[in-house]
Amino acid sequence: MHSRRDFLKQSMLGLSAMGFVPGLFANNTRGQAPKRFIFIHKGNGLLPKVMAPPTLSEAEAGMEERKEAFEVSLCDHDLPDWMSALNEHKDAMTILQGLSGKMCTTGHHTWQSSLGVYKANERLSSIKWATVDFELAKLFPSPLEHIELACFPNEGGNARGNIEGIEKGFSARGPQQPNYAFGSPKVAMQELFKSVAGDKDTRVQYELERKVLQFAAQNQAKLGGSLNGIEKTKVANYADSIEAILERNRKVEVMGDVIRKHLPQMDDKYFSENLNTIDRQKGFTEILLSTLISGMTNVVTFTADELGTRYTGITDIETTNVNLHDVGHNKGVGPFTAEEVRDKVRRHHMDVVDTIVSRLKSVPEDGGSMFDNTLLLYFPDNGETHHSNGAEWPFIALAGSNCRLDIAGKYIRLPGYGQEGHKTLGNWYTTILNAYGNPIEHYGDLDTGLGKYGIDQTGPIRQFLG
Amino acid sequence: MDLMCYSVPGDHFHYGRRKALLALKGRLNFRLLTSMAFLVASFLMALLPNLANADSFDVPKKVDSILSSYCYSCHDADTEKGGVRLDNLSELSLDGRLETLNRMHEQLYIREMPPEKKKAQPSASERELVMDWVFAELEKHGGSKLEDKLRYPDFGNYVDHDMLFSGDIKEAGYTPERRWLVSPQIFDERVKDIFQLEGRDRLQALYGITNPFMLPERSGVRDYDISSLDGGHLLMMLTNAEWISQKQIRAARVIKGELKANEFPNPKDRWAPRQTHPALEVIILKESTPTDDEIAEAIQAQFGLVLDRPANPKEIEKYLALTRSAIGLAGNSEGLRQMLVSVLLESEFLYRLEFGSGEPDDHGRRILAPHEAALAISYALGDRGPDAVLRKAAADGRLVTQEDFKREVERLLADGDYYAGPVDSGISGKNMRSHETSHPKLIRFFREFFGYSMAAKVFKDIERSDGYYLNPSRGTLGTPGFLIKEADLVVDWYLSRDQNVFENLLTTEDFFVYHDKDNETGRQIITEWTEAYHRLKDTNWKEDPEGVMDEHQEFLKSKKSLAFMSHHKQRREFLRHMYFWGETIGKGRTPFTTVSFAHGYTYNHSPFYNLPPTPGIFRYGEIENKNFKGLDDIEFWDYPVEQPFKISNRKGILTHPAWLVAHSSNFHTDPIRRGRWIREKLLAGRVPDIPITVDAQIPEDPHMTLRERVESVTEKGECWKCHKKMNPLGYPFEIFDDFGRYTRDEPLEYEIHLVAKAKKKNGASTYKTKPINAMGYLDGTGDPALDGEVSNAFEMIDRLAKSERVRQSIIRHAFRFFLGRNEMLSDSRTLINADRAYVESGGSFKAVVVSLLSSDSFRYRKPVE
Repeated sequence: MHSRRDFLKQSMLGLSAMGFVPGLFANNTRGQAPKRFIFIHKGNGLLPKVMAPPTLSEAEAGMEERKEAFEVSLCDHDLPDWMSALNEHKDAMTILQGLSGKMCTTGHHTWQSSLGVYKANERLSSIKWATVDFELAKLFPSPLEHIELACFPNEGGNARGNIEGIEKGFSARGPQQPNYAFGSPKVAMQELFKSVAGDKDTRVQYELERKVLQFAAQNQAKLGGSLNGIEKTKVANYADSIEAILERNRKVEVMGDVIRKHLPQMDDKYFSENLNTIDRQKGFTEILLSTLISGMTNVVTFTADELGTRYTGITDIETTNVNLHDVGHNKGVGPFTAEEVRDKVRRHHMDVVDTIVSRLKSVPEDGGSMFDNTLLLYFPDNGETHHSNGAEWPFIALAGSNCRLDIAGKYIRLPGYGQEGHKTLGNWYTTILNAYGNPIEHYGDLDTGLGKYGIDQTGPIRQFLG
Repeated sequence: MDLMCYSVPGDHFHYGRRKALLALKGRLNFRLLTSMAFLVASFLMALLPNLANADSFDVPKKVDSILSSYCYSCHDADTEKGGVRLDNLSELSLDGRLETLNRMHEQLYIREMPPEKKKAQPSASERELVMDWVFAELEKHGGSKLEDKLRYPDFGNYVDHDMLFSGDIKEAGYTPERRWLVSPQIFDERVKDIFQLEGRDRLQALYGITNPFMLPERSGVRDYDISSLDGGHLLMMLTNAEWISQKQIRAARVIKGELKANEFPNPKDRWAPRQTHPALEVIILKESTPTDDEIAEAIQAQFGLVLDRPANPKEIEKYLALTRSAIGLAGNSEGLRQMLVSVLLESEFLYRLEFGSGEPDDHGRRILAPHEAALAISYALGDRGPDAVLRKAAADGRLVTQEDFKREVERLLADGDYYAGPVDSGISGKNMRSHETSHPKLIRFFREFFGYSMAAKVFKDIERSDGYYLNPSRGTLGTPGFLIKEADLVVDWYLSRDQNVFENLLTTEDFFVYHDKDNETGRQIITEWTEAYHRLKDTNWKEDPEGVMDEHQEFLKSKKSLAFMSHHKQRREFLRHMYFWGETIGKGRTPFTTVSFAHGYTYNHSPFYNLPPTPGIFRYGEIENKNFKGLDDIEFWDYPVEQPFKISNRKGILTHPAWLVAHSSNFHTDPIRRGRWIREKLLAGRVPDIPITVDAQIPEDPHMTLRERVESVTEKGECWKCHKKMNPLGYPFEIFDDFGRYTRDEPLEYEIHLVAKAKKKNGASTYKTKPINAMGYLDGTGDPALDGEVSNAFEMIDRLAKSERVRQSIIRHAFRFFLGRNEMLSDSRTLINADRAYVESGGSFKAVVVSLLSSDSFRYRKPVE
């Protein structure tokens, strides 16, 4: 009888022998390309008032003010100035307002709340289920499943300061299972691309890890082989999990040529010890693109910043170490007001988004471009402002032509909190999951405060499903 | 095997039922199941020739005739009650048929079918024939699910209670040999053991460790031996192993100069053990390649630290090869570290192994090996491995007999230090710490049994609580955290007295609320405050606080709780105290001994016990403001310094707000869940799983109370079959709302009933109300004097506390907690002995623990085949 390991071994041999590999994971020009998802979230809130196009009519502006539902085509309007980097992508863009997220932890630090739609905090037991990005990763499997990159906070928040290393991140693999995120382009580069690394130390490290995993897999498999029934399961699951990691590594090894072709375009400064925040974001962007384009993963979550992230490199105040928390409390920096600093920070984020979208548009796939199969979401990790309560949760979405949501090219304001037809973060993620093949009835916790308005909180936002 | 040995002459039904139970009692004893299946199949093959062909399916005539008499009338094409049809089994696909047969098997096993109310009931032999046939059919395809189900916590009560305690079962107790996944707490302790931490060092949290384990969130015993390691655990262990191994060798690497003493890859993570284990240090400091002996020593060292046992020669051989090759690739330090990581990744590090040793006895059981026995005892009483005395007893061959076990368990129960620690550091936060006690694990049993710690999982709408309820958030578990701690204190209080523990916990009217200091300290503070208030109240303190402080400086300095106020800098503090005392002591009430203006003060929850509030954190915020117009008049709580203290309209843990919140929903009470809790936890009863076809929601109706709405949807036809086991036991708790407040009327929280809008931020609006109906019905105690109508929770609780079955049900749960599994019929003697120990000791829980931990069920293991 063949074991699973035998099967895997043989299937991998077959794969190599057929010379099938490069086309399998990247530059898919035949058949169905996978869908890709990019989640970019920021700290300190995203102010709803900066989201609306400045060219709304008086009537529309009134509805915006009263937080009443309406939508307009972005083609007929200017984007807010800070979003101008995305002007070229307006047809693929959505500005979505009116969602609430009071079932999340809000305020300063929110852990997995904005992706999991529950009140997450520093206790792992508060992680109730896999975050939405992991749910999507399950629908579109890839060798690395999911990659998380994070400009960690230097103080407070969920990571306690190791902004250069690997720490518990803002996504969760499952109940009580935090994901780990890469804190610097350097460590992400080392870990993700070690199988194709040129330098000897990284190669040795990779070889050592392989040895240990192989040893552990054999050891545990042997132990499991001598057991029966549930006792066998108790060991075999573990052995299989080790084997699965080895298998994942093998898949990445097999992809070596493709990965080498799409190695991140890293400037030396991205590896420097004194990397400023803006360059850190740029470095991460290169890695994000490389892992998606090479096919290592289909889902990347990127923490552009968190409330405790100390900013350096912001335009016009490059050398100032900006305390985002103070900005949240309306403290200006130098000649700039807090609002202006917030604006600058967001502009940098938009540059990152533009880089990602433009680059993905340049990679051919399935007769179109890789962007056609991508959905990018930009949103706050804590709602509408610094001391937020989750009454609003603005989003910017960019989606290619194969997107399964009917939202492109619009400014959409959904009914405000407590109004009939009001929708929550849970409804929004349910919509995305339903659209991409997860039939879940409702994703996320319910808002205990919405009950009194008699609003049905469950299910997708039907008008987005087309 | 002599199946007749359990039969009672003349009682044919019991014989048949016992035989079926026996087939399932062994849970993992597949040998027994297989042989049973063979016996039954052989029997049926002779009786029913059609069964010989495993691929064909036919309902034997005799079985068909019985089904036709008792089952088809409700489960044929026309009726199909509960979505189940039995007259077309041969037309179903194999999967469909096995599914239906499994449902039949379970229903017959727990005697749910045919329903009691049906007059026509099968005879014992008819029932037996059908069960045997169903079981044989399932076994033919390896498709029987019942025995697997019986391993899970929800099915603990499937073993018949009366039979367990009948005294008729003579089989010797044992536990199937097993790997039992370590609990989160044991994992923490094991990591600390690797670093050989002692004393206060053990209390620190280790930065780089993510505990891969979490116990299931449920009300009931949580730590069963059924869990297995998976990929999630592995991912966390890879990160943990990396961190642990780096720290293990750090000190030696600094000596060698590979790292500077102040060089830390992560500046926020500067902790490291002061020394590297000598066997590891030798290799790191060596300039040349280490010898085989040196590597073998290092392997032995790591096995000892991580697995608490020496490596055997085969293991040495394997690890030697690995280490050598890793050192060849990356040098001594990094090569050695790969070995450390590999041992850390052994599944054995994450499991407790209990296999027994020596020759099997007449019952096929083997006694726990001394090393296993020491671990089993220690992990039953706490989370740490054995103390030195227990280790020595194991090493000296003094951990074999029942007396040996008793001696060690009694000794460790009397030891107030070894396991001492917080009940649950997981509830501690920035404003509250879990209280410390000698044996946190014993408290944890009652916590899991009652399930009150689940309160932290229920989020509430703050406005409905009039702004008093704080949901769990960053760094705090909010109101539920306080409530859980206060329930822990009640449990601890009665456990430390160790008399009539169950009865006291069920019926006590004495509780702890805001009790953050011991009684003596509290008394001292109140004495000083009262003296100070009376001395200063008539002075010019409002206009000239500094002057008054100066004048009474010596007095203030002489009082421990006031000394800090003697300086002018404390002007604001002084004023706040005076206002605070004025509206408490000044009005003849005792103030809470922690002032509300203390940093991070969050005591807000007294209203959930129907006690008056205490001042909030902002109450005295404006007193120095020139526009301050004085404080509005509020009746604050007359705080009882001496605790526990009597609270009216409460009776036992089931009326504690922590329990009530834990067993409520986000929006309202939950009589169904509460009733189910009573049925399963106290009455050893069963409620079948919710049928998957059921998607019942409690309907909205602005004119009905919650009870009325529940009744409208659960008392219909098929629903009532299960709900009658729960609802009548849950309704009596309707005298409490979903925040745990005692109430006689239920507000109808709908816009049309609004009487007045909230007057304060986060305040509650006022709605019209409807009177509560808390009538219920107690059945299933097995005692006709106790069963019957009850008018509310208090009356029901009083009766429950008198019930023998309730006492035995708690003992059954204690068995599950300490043994990590459901009881089997063969555990009968263990349970009876534990029950007797409780009764004969005047209700000592420690006597129960000693009895369980020295029982055959605890000491013996039997192989799984």
